[in-house]
Amino acid sequence: MSHAWLSSPILAQLNSGVIVIDDEYQIHYLNAFIERHASVQLSEVQGKSIFSVFADLPEAWLKRKLMSVLDLNTPAFSSWEQRQYIFKLPHLRPITSSSQYMAQNCSMLPLVSDQTDQPLICILIEDATDAFVYQQHLSKTLIELERANRQDGLTKVLNRRYWEEQLKQEIHRAQRYHHPLSLILFDLDKFKDLNDKYGHLGGDFVLIQLASFISSLLRDSDLFGRYGGEEFGIILPDTGLEGAVEVAERICQAVAEYPMLFNQQTIRASISMGVAELLPKQHLLHDDVIRCADMALYNAKRAGRNRVCSYLAGETEYQKKVN
Amino acid sequence: MSTLGFSEEQRDCLQEIINVAMGLASDKLARFLNTFVHLQVPSIALVGASHIPAEFENRYQDTEAALVSQGFFGNEGVRGEAIVLYQMENAHKISALLGYEVGDVSEIEMLTDISSILTTTFLNGLADQIENSLSYSAPRVLSSVKGDMSSLLRNTSFHWEHALKVDISYQLVDHSFNCDMILLIPGEAVTNIQRILDRILEDY
Repeated sequence: MSHAWLSSPILAQLNSGVIVIDDEYQIHYLNAFIERHASVQLSEVQGKSIFSVFADLPEAWLKRKLMSVLDLNTPAFSSWEQRQYIFKLPHLRPITSSSQYMAQNCSMLPLVSDQTDQPLICILIEDATDAFVYQQHLSKTLIELERANRQDGLTKVLNRRYWEEQLKQEIHRAQRYHHPLSLILFDLDKFKDLNDKYGHLGGDFVLIQLASFISSLLRDSDLFGRYGGEEFGIILPDTGLEGAVEVAERICQAVAEYPMLFNQQTIRASISMGVAELLPKQHLLHDDVIRCADMALYNAKRAGRNRVCSYLAGETEYQKKVN
Repeated sequence: MSTLGFSEEQRDCLQEIINVAMGLASDKLARFLNTFVHLQVPSIALVGASHIPAEFENRYQDTEAALVSQGFFGNEGVRGEAIVLYQMENAHKISALLGYEVGDVSEIEMLTDISSILTTTFLNGLADQIENSLSYSAPRVLSSVKGDMSSLLRNTSFHWEHALKVDISYQLVDHSFNCDMILLIPGEAVTNIQRILDRILEDY
């Protein structure tokens, strides 16, 4: 018993597109899926060139694919991952999906016909929109995860681990290309007093506000991270000591003049800053530069806070004298 | 190397079929690419799939390599997965030959196209001779990164018992292009192929 009669109802029900063309790109057949999605009727497009019916097709690209099918008698494929769609068709989830057109996996298969010697190609179009949407969600999530992995949860600046990694890389780069590099370490003055006066929420508020304010004062290439508690670090690539001190002075002054409104109260804060430049011969490890900047920061604290101190070459101990 | 239960006659028969398939493929490719294609007699080996990663570790070490997989299945339980391995510098060569221009298509698409053409022309020729016909899955790039080739192969070939390793070397006029093709074949499919080989041998 022949099952040939089944082909027609199955093709009509099939949730994939089927288009048959010949070696002159003329349409011999297309199924209901294509008729509905592309708003065409087989009776109207039969015998017409596929490139005139579907005007948006990437013609040169598709012809090359089709030629390989005809010449080699082998299938050719196209995946949504490389080319989101070949046929510009709307898809079935216009509401819940972010993409406008149906993502497609297409197979181009050589067909043997009993009725004619003319070579035919069957183009199968499968809707891959769901996979496309999942992939988009996944990519977005991965980007967010990556960001979360390098961000400090509270202040949104770089976290310590990532910041130190960046410092190592920047030092490496500066040494290789003989570029200057400077580091600023700073600390919120009397943070404990702020916490006592405004509560921990107030303290956190100040950290968040200042981190965001200081970020806005920096260049894109500067790397701003939270070193711990109320201590932060800024890596300044391609910047010598003089330039770094200038930046620090500007930040220090701007912070002192920056009022923050918390629960109808104006909070003013100040910071103490230590600046050190990478000295290629002395600073072999990133810890060495941090230690120098930390020494300068300590001196700024001892000198009365709300100021910038820079590390002087040869300095090995914290300044003993208190101003 | 174990014979994996293939008799000498079966092995000879398979080598002959592969030689002819390769000849057919090179003829088609030459006409398609409009250039003379010289194909060496492919060296084939049947190996346990677990041997595959170590074997390619050296050859693709320190080079940018790519690995493309394509499934195939036919009648009488013939099925498996074809993996084509390239050094990327070789892949760039053939892309120019296929008429791609820089920026025209993505590197991945270029790779899947080349692999699909190589795999399906060869396997179609093979299927013809055993009076079979094959269907193919879309080719998929498993990796195109430096290094991690062997661990990827290890993960890929782990579930497969047998591998038919075919070394292919295409020499085109003014170009030379090398790649390796591995046909990974699961256990019961190998038995099915042996049955087909026996039938062919009987006919002689």
